[in-house]
Amino acid sequence: MPQVTLTVNGKTSTVEVEGRTLLVELLREKLRLTGTHVGCDTSQCGACVVHMNGESVKACTTLALQADGASITTIEGLAKADGTLHPMQEAFREYHALQCGFCTPGMVMSAIDLVQKHPEGLSEKEIREGLEGNLCRCTGYHNIVKAIDAAQAVMHGKAASIAPATV
Amino acid sequence: MPSPPPPPPLPGSPIGRALPRREDRRLLLGRGRFHDDLELPGDTLHAVFLRSPHAHARIGAIDSTAARALPGVIAVLTGAEINALVAPLKIAPPIPGHLPVETPAMPAETARLVGDPVALVLAERRSIAEDAAELITIAWEALPAIASVAQASAPGAALVDPTVPGNRVARQRVATPGLDAAFARAERILEIPFAQQRQTHAPIEPRGCLAIWDVGREHLTLHVGTQAPHPYRTALAARLGLREWQATVIAPDMGGGFGQKIIPAREDLCCAAAARLLGRPVRWREGRSENLAASLHAREESIAARVGFGGDGRLVALDVTITVDSGGWCLFPADYIARMICIIIPGATRLREYGYTTEIWLTNKCPSGPMRAPMAMAAWVTEGILDEVARVLGLDPLEVRRRNMIAQTDLPWVSAAGQRYEAITPRATLDAVAEAIGYDAIRAQQRAGGTTGKLLGLGLCTVIESNTYGSAFYRAAGIPGSGHEAVAVRVEPSGAVLASCGLMGSGQGYETTLAQTTAAGLGCRPDDVLVQLGHTDIAPYGMGSRGARGATAGGGGLYIAGLRLQAKMLQIAAVLLGRNSADGLVLREGRVLAATGGGFTDAGIGIPEIARTAHLDPLRLPAGMMPGLHEIYAYDPPDLTFTDSAHAALVEIDPESGAIALLRYVAAENAGQAINPIIVEGQGHGAISLGLSGALMEHLAYDEDGQLLAGSFMDYALARAGDIPPLQLMHMNIPDPRTPAGIKGMSEGGTMGAAGALMNAVNDALAQSGVRLDKPPATPARIWAALQGGAGLRRT
Repeated sequence: MPQVTLTVNGKTSTVEVEGRTLLVELLREKLRLTGTHVGCDTSQCGACVVHMNGESVKACTTLALQADGASITTIEGLAKADGTLHPMQEAFREYHALQCGFCTPGMVMSAIDLVQKHPEGLSEKEIREGLEGNLCRCTGYHNIVKAIDAAQAVMHGKAASIAPATV
Repeated sequence: MPSPPPPPPLPGSPIGRALPRREDRRLLLGRGRFHDDLELPGDTLHAVFLRSPHAHARIGAIDSTAARALPGVIAVLTGAEINALVAPLKIAPPIPGHLPVETPAMPAETARLVGDPVALVLAERRSIAEDAAELITIAWEALPAIASVAQASAPGAALVDPTVPGNRVARQRVATPGLDAAFARAERILEIPFAQQRQTHAPIEPRGCLAIWDVGREHLTLHVGTQAPHPYRTALAARLGLREWQATVIAPDMGGGFGQKIIPAREDLCCAAAARLLGRPVRWREGRSENLAASLHAREESIAARVGFGGDGRLVALDVTITVDSGGWCLFPADYIARMICIIIPGATRLREYGYTTEIWLTNKCPSGPMRAPMAMAAWVTEGILDEVARVLGLDPLEVRRRNMIAQTDLPWVSAAGQRYEAITPRATLDAVAEAIGYDAIRAQQRAGGTTGKLLGLGLCTVIESNTYGSAFYRAAGIPGSGHEAVAVRVEPSGAVLASCGLMGSGQGYETTLAQTTAAGLGCRPDDVLVQLGHTDIAPYGMGSRGARGATAGGGGLYIAGLRLQAKMLQIAAVLLGRNSADGLVLREGRVLAATGGGFTDAGIGIPEIARTAHLDPLRLPAGMMPGLHEIYAYDPPDLTFTDSAHAALVEIDPESGAIALLRYVAAENAGQAINPIIVEGQGHGAISLGLSGALMEHLAYDEDGQLLAGSFMDYALARAGDIPPLQLMHMNIPDPRTPAGIKGMSEGGTMGAAGALMNAVNDALAQSGVRLDKPPATPARIWAALQGGAGLRRT
């Protein structure tokens, strides 16, 4: 069987895969990083989004072989070693931007990529449009959009910490 | 019998606090544990189902020789083998007009829908099982397919179920005695059609399970996402012929349910039977196509309404016939959702004379069942009728609503369908929504007409959301089951609190809210409480999460159990403090406070001292007191609680293209005492967007031969972030005097209101062009077709 060498969350691994093995299967089954989820198999829902060489990709429609030599970041790789959450994770918690939590890892990874690509800042409408590759069935997106807005301020250095949510 | 309510929580109690959710950290770290994340035992077999490509076909000879020969394939099981191991589901409720029906775990003779499971492949790897399934050949004999109620009810139609003559599985007629006379005296009578398209729950996490049979102990452990672990276990054990203690059901984190994950899926039963047969663990996870084709569908209902009213717009008589296309098998009593819709249709109106007919038809489509707000259609029907009445009389729709709506002074009100409403405020929520959306200004804008050529539409929808469903409801409805919830609270020697009940969450935040209600009862901090859910061996037997019952039944029960334990702990505290009685003592945030003058002072001890004494020094306890600190309590709530809300949607339609833009959405709700306002708000968002998604775009479509057209998320549209506007919610919560801490259910009314408000807004816009859309989804194509005189109804 072919081998793939890749760096996931800073750790380099070499694993045997089938030609048809998907990146998400490699991550979940070989490396046991189960935070990346499979929701639809057809790259519609975005639960499987990870960062490959700094770009968000849908790991359910990426072959493991395509990730040979790549650097991958998954949801498990976001928090600091001391447990401090990434500002996007912290904002999702503060703004109640997750309910069942199944779409959340992909949503957070997409949101980080979206914010990073827009240092000029995103409007509420632009955030909504930027989330077109991710489905959430629980939240109605309302609090996800608010969380991303709060996180972008911190990620762009415009705020020191996530602004508290108000009910 | 419904239990009387306990005393309300003290000011400053954890009930009502906007605490962040305790489940969030693990989910945000990617450390949740959903069923697909479970560590599998080394000898686990992977299950793949071969499914029918036909809507209706006799299953001829099945040749699995090539599949079995594939290295790594352990077994291929077909219907005949499965059904020797699993008893069929029998639905025979004591409901008049409901025929008894049976559903096998796997059909052996006839497949009744595209996606019906017809063989189970078990292999060392999932990819091997997938390959093997493709090697199985079946000598199919296609039968005429029934793909609609029109086809099902045609003379000489093929039978979906040979035991159901004419394909009609249930029919019931209920009417008030004065209905005909009321129609006779009505000044005007209108007939108005309504319909809903077939939809499905679409939890982002597909279904799946891990079944482990312990050969030595003869015990089945099933890891499976279910909203109701104990009733699930009862059914599982019965179907497999096990004593109930031979089965443990463990629900891991669940990625959404919305009603799809309540009862044992047919696939779950097949996997459990296979694990027992083969003595090896069996793992199944479905693909999205399987979930869309063959899990559970919902909402394909048509309602023909005949309404009699006065020239002032007041309703005097209403008769509805609901016709349901319910699919090929009955996994639930066939007519209970239709009856629930009809029971809720009178809504907040003063209607007195009412009748309804329910007709449930079998078709060669996926079975139907409850989906978040099963009664969703009711609100649109009520409010769509009021809009039509206003239109034909040239009256303002808001004014017609006010003329028909019950007033606060009418409460308690018994609706024309016999439901007793208390603790609702429909006029207040309607007024609030009308003001917030700027009702008068929008109407003025409409009258002035625009220059853009676009059609502006404003839709209102008042909702009476039934929820909680105590045992008295089940008795009255003739549905087997109960609505009480048993809870257990234990205080360990360190003061750590363990709370459990039979609810299982799928995103509702129970680990937070149930800690809040337990802590409010007990007098400790929510952080002191661990909520243990989703394990049938830990929680006492409970009825599970459905019908927006968790907050009142589970939360209320834990609040009461906490109060009972607090009373015991204060008796112990009195001994420790050398007092004659516990009078004047309370527990707050884990400390014993003593009343002094006008306030309270810390008495110097807290729950840890009390708990240590109760467990480790029981001889110090008051005479006759049981050692330890544990309480199992069963709370049976009122038959129903009602949460009222009002919704307003503003849409703009481009008549040239049919494009629809949802400009604004406002809702006001009285959901009783909120346990956690952040979570209530989030549940409101979710409920509303589910309703909007259904009204705007979802359609689980089949063609006229019963072939599935929506087999992936490329074909089944769900609302994305850009489809939903910011949602403006107003909370006008008033505690319900009949329930613990005043808690009511919520989280379904938003779905009802959104579906109704959106469709009313669309039709408000389309009325300007003289047409009406009588069925969602309000897609640009359907709107455009209606404007061309196609999909909708042309007004005369």
